[in-house]
Amino acid sequence: MRIAFLVAVLAGAVFYTYVAFADLGFMTRTGRLGPGFFPRIIGLAMVAIAIWIIADHLRGRDRGAATPGRWSDVASLTGLALGYAVLLWLLGGFLASVVFLLAALSMLNPGRPLQNGALALVLPLAVYLLFDVLLNASMPPGLVPFPI
Amino acid sequence: MDIFADLVMGLSLAITPINLLYLLVGAMVGMIVGVIPGFGPSAGLAILLPVTFGMDPIGAIMMLAAIYYGAMYGGTITSILLNTPGESATVASTFDGFPLAKNGRAGPALVMQAVASFVGGTVGVVLITILAPMFSQVSRSFGPPEYFLLASMGMLTLIVMIGANWKLGCLSALVGFALGTVGVDLETGQGRYTFGSAELIGGIYFIPVAIGLFGLGELFYAFYIGLHRQGAGSIVQFQKEKRFWPDRMDWISTRWTMVRGSILGFVVGVIPGAGATIASLMAYSLERSVSKTPEKFGQGEMAGLVAPETANNAASSGAMIPLLTLGIPGSASTAVLLAAFLLWGLRPGPLFMAQNPELAWGLIASMYLGNMALLAISIFAIPLFVLLLKVPYRLLAPAIVVICALGTFSVHASFIETWLMFAAGIVGFFMRLYGFSPAALVLALVLGPLAEEALRQTMTISRGSFMIFVDRPASLWILALTVVLLGLVPLFQKLSRAAGAAAKAGG
Repeated sequence: MRIAFLVAVLAGAVFYTYVAFADLGFMTRTGRLGPGFFPRIIGLAMVAIAIWIIADHLRGRDRGAATPGRWSDVASLTGLALGYAVLLWLLGGFLASVVFLLAALSMLNPGRPLQNGALALVLPLAVYLLFDVLLNASMPPGLVPFPI
Repeated sequence: MDIFADLVMGLSLAITPINLLYLLVGAMVGMIVGVIPGFGPSAGLAILLPVTFGMDPIGAIMMLAAIYYGAMYGGTITSILLNTPGESATVASTFDGFPLAKNGRAGPALVMQAVASFVGGTVGVVLITILAPMFSQVSRSFGPPEYFLLASMGMLTLIVMIGANWKLGCLSALVGFALGTVGVDLETGQGRYTFGSAELIGGIYFIPVAIGLFGLGELFYAFYIGLHRQGAGSIVQFQKEKRFWPDRMDWISTRWTMVRGSILGFVVGVIPGAGATIASLMAYSLERSVSKTPEKFGQGEMAGLVAPETANNAASSGAMIPLLTLGIPGSASTAVLLAAFLLWGLRPGPLFMAQNPELAWGLIASMYLGNMALLAISIFAIPLFVLLLKVPYRLLAPAIVVICALGTFSVHASFIETWLMFAAGIVGFFMRLYGFSPAALVLALVLGPLAEEALRQTMTISRGSFMIFVDRPASLWILALTVVLLGLVPLFQKLSRAAGAAAKAGG
């Protein structure tokens, strides 16, 4: 898994460097440093170091021994968080938060529907009162119009 | 005398009912942020930054600063009672804090950590009061070459401090620099990496990345290590202890420890890139080396708790100096504070104290008051924090996701930034898992545009010659300081490793 992450970083670095060389000039017409000066240096350095780290990994010098952990729990929370990101856009801040909290708490704190329900209502309400009413900051409006 | 008059003026601004309320709320929230494992001041500051919208700048900056140094106080409570540091700067406090609690001395340990934090924080603020105007005066002669070198020095020390994983730290910083180049190039007006998106013209905003990396990323990592499946059963029950207050020997044996820890912590804190974690580990190691009973370290020695506590609080104060006088953040937390300043239209740097005396001195004065408030909160609100520790992580985690998302949206009312925050959270998890440095990425994202602008101006001034960096005396001094710091890094690392090894041997 680590090697996949490193390769993804390398791919990003290569793409970044390609754009720096293909689209951005090293110097301006007036002879000053151009918009591509910094990106080219950064890009080349990124590619070089990423290759070095991958080579170390493949030679077994630095395997970055990650402790074994609970991938399934991380995947579940990530899925819920990404679902929440979409719901924010669809339903708006308040309703999306209630739905997300109900789903997340049902998974993490099973068998306590009353506690979960209360938390799922109280927290978004508190955040709404703090952000929207007290601080006049924006809450996501949502595609579907709801009163809050 | 000028300093005293400025400080009195700052105090008069800080001591208004509303500003005192903001200060107390910030101190309390900072402590709560510190208590939550894996949730450090960077995340707390980034998430709570939007809450300060609608406040006046002095109150807002006072509150954010209180969250920043308050987290140092709170992080130790979990170190002592749970053997789990609330954040990285309180790792060294577990070495002797938890053994003290296991030996039935949790009460004295909690009180002494509060007093040590107060002493470290207050000594740090006194030194800021004296030194910040001097630094500000000196830095007025700085030009683009010096700013480029200072930004580079901050990044270099941070990367080298990472130690064995310096290559991963370097790559993290480069990714941060790369993200910092997105947007319109201010000199030529050409878009860079915008791919036609109007949302990217202004660049990748720093707050969603910081909230994602430090907030969500840490949360995902906490799930990975199974923090959400742990109960509160492992908290040391100290309420039944006979003695809550420290005895005479505790005070006497640690009086010089506090002095050493405060001075060392402050000096390390001023160095860009070093920070409170290194300061606390170095102070622990130093204390052990000067102790007549080094074998007791790691087994519940009060000096082993007091040293890192004074150092990390003094370091968090010290880190304010480069931020206020140079506009260069030395850590991820101060980078978020810099973002807060910018959000309010304020530009920290050499002229900041001269142009904004009310704000600068109001902030410094508030730090005196904040440390006093934190001392009282740390001692008298301990039962409240113990209660908070009993809230299972599985209930806190979804709430943190909601606050991260809604907090990010409220900054610019942007769904793209909110989704960017979620993406940064996933990347942050993998960075944390595989030994990358989210702090280096965030710092580089802030410093990158500053460094690029300074370098391009420098090259224009020097007509493309790099000799300008050695021709100007100020640049030469900074270069020499960088070389000295990089030379000292092996010593820093040796002291940090020694602290860990000693604690393991003792425990």
